[in-house]
Amino acid sequence: MEPFLRGAAPAAPRLLSKDLVMAKTNDLRLTSLTATREMILLCAILLVGAAFSFASPYFLTPINLIQTLRAALELAIVSAGMTLVIIMGGIDVSVGGILAVSAIVIGKSYQAGMPPWVVAPIGLGTGAILGAWNGWLTTKFKVPPIIATLGSMYIFSAIMFIVIGGAWISGLPNTLSPLVNGAVFFIPSAALVILFVYGTCWILLRRVPFGRHIYGIGSSEHSAKLVGINVDRTKIITYAILGLLSGFAALLYVARMRNVEINIGTSIALEAIAATILGGTSIRGGVGSLLGTLLGVVFIRIIQNGLVLIGVSSLWETVVIGGLLILVLAVDAIRNRNNLRTQ
Amino acid sequence: MIANLATRLQGDPLRARLLLLIGLWLVAIVVMSLLSPYFLQSSTVPYLLQYVPILGLLGLGQTLVILAGGPGIDLSVGAIVSLVGVCVGALISGLGVWPACALGIVLGGLLGLVNGVLVNVLRIPSLIATLATMFVYGGLALASTQGKPMGNFPAEFAWLGQGTTLGLPNAFVFVLLPDAVILHVMLTRTTIGRHIVASGNDDRAAYLSGIDVARVRIGLYVLSGVLAAVGSVISMSWFLSARPDAGTGMELLAVTIAVLGGTHIFGGTGGVPGTIVAILVITTLQIGLQLANISAAWQLGVIGILLVASVASTGAFKAIWGFKR
Repeated sequence: MEPFLRGAAPAAPRLLSKDLVMAKTNDLRLTSLTATREMILLCAILLVGAAFSFASPYFLTPINLIQTLRAALELAIVSAGMTLVIIMGGIDVSVGGILAVSAIVIGKSYQAGMPPWVVAPIGLGTGAILGAWNGWLTTKFKVPPIIATLGSMYIFSAIMFIVIGGAWISGLPNTLSPLVNGAVFFIPSAALVILFVYGTCWILLRRVPFGRHIYGIGSSEHSAKLVGINVDRTKIITYAILGLLSGFAALLYVARMRNVEINIGTSIALEAIAATILGGTSIRGGVGSLLGTLLGVVFIRIIQNGLVLIGVSSLWETVVIGGLLILVLAVDAIRNRNNLRTQ
Repeated sequence: MIANLATRLQGDPLRARLLLLIGLWLVAIVVMSLLSPYFLQSSTVPYLLQYVPILGLLGLGQTLVILAGGPGIDLSVGAIVSLVGVCVGALISGLGVWPACALGIVLGGLLGLVNGVLVNVLRIPSLIATLATMFVYGGLALASTQGKPMGNFPAEFAWLGQGTTLGLPNAFVFVLLPDAVILHVMLTRTTIGRHIVASGNDDRAAYLSGIDVARVRIGLYVLSGVLAAVGSVISMSWFLSARPDAGTGMELLAVTIAVLGGTHIFGGTGGVPGTIVAILVITTLQIGLQLANISAAWQLGVIGILLVASVASTGAFKAIWGFKR
């Protein structure tokens, strides 16, 4: 056995170093890909912002920008989790349902007279459990994530309708409102919350092995399994993180609105997916960045805000977002095809 | 004898699924008639069949799109129903009813063609491509009408959606039934059908044996759009109005029906009979819960559970219950 190993030894390091070089160049290419996307998106935001500030005198006022920031808070938080899930090669269309159910649990807990430091963990926990349920369905039952989360969305909205029965939960306390409306040294606290969430997710994705596992599963689930990554556990945890963030978004929603409406969370799943894809994350998994997603969120919310300000009905929002999504996907597809041809 | 039956069923997953579905349907009928005294009456049959055609057409289109693999899925069918309805509603005063409907069906085909090109020429994953077109089509329908429904349909237009022949709804007798038969024959007796199933089973092998896989799949997206447009016409004829949110949520039902009917979510297995029985199961549940005066929310929950359960692999179920052989 010893000679065999010694004989095989020279081959192994060569293979390893070659792989390392390949991985490195690959990594460089990927970061440059998402980096250019972030630059394009930033330019687009500035361009659209400039156009809107010409069209409407209200656009560039501090109060409008802060309102837009506050309105973007929940979408930004959910999109951070969505980015992790899509990089992993999954998708979750039930986040609106998770947000709704968490908000109802939060509202009911408040009404039961619980203090905020009890309500907050309950809300976050509800979200995490519902997210883990999605992960459990996709891993243990081998249901494709889109179908599993579609089914979950039905089930979550059923829970919501049954609990809430068509009525609003209103008159909730405002103890957590400073998280959304407050300011620290003139920095809006909403910005700090976004910074905190994206910072944490960035560390998770880029600075600990768990993030490497997510990228690995997204690139090739089979290879990830072969190198010893516990794929099922990583998936369930990632879906649970998205659920947790949706629960956090629900907490902030309740703090901001102080009621729970019947149509809460209906469009957030599609918006979060759109923001993530606009930000350069590949729907096929393995590629993506949080900064791009954040820019995607800003872009979507600026367009929505600007359209309202220049007097276009808000019904056109979905057309514009959908059209942008198709445009970006088509450009990506054509660029990918050219890359394949030149290789 | 039971063992014999079991081996025969294992040889043909589609037939096994069909029997399972018929069993499920009978269970649903028994449960519903226990829940509501109004359910088990002869008047329920046409009432039930009234609901079937629109969802049926969407489910058939979805079945074919998923069957051809890729993996293909068409999430925009509900939005196509809405958008076609709005366009027909706008054209009707200038053109008359039936030419407007014909144009609407052509429009449905074009919208399906857009999906097909995005998915098969640009190679955008079907899920996200049709999600985006769902946004665009549905948004256009809502924004162009400001969310208001359109009326002014002539009374004779109601023949299709409200009229009956021999006690059965016209839309069922003259649209869904012939369509289902034609599609079933196409799928099982013609070369096109073989090509569809082959594309779904292994698109590489299908391509190498000379099948233009992309064209087959584009054709099926167009077909799905056309069927959705026909569904839209039936819906308008039934309600005598074009609502810009008429199709909201239908895409999810259509996917549920297709996969419940035994179509494999990654293509290659599936057929028309399973889809038809799946529609009957879903509609029976809906009508039954409605008659029993149970909140619509439970319908959503039941459909969600059916959707997940019908896709979950049987191996996983066995592993969970500790059922080993």
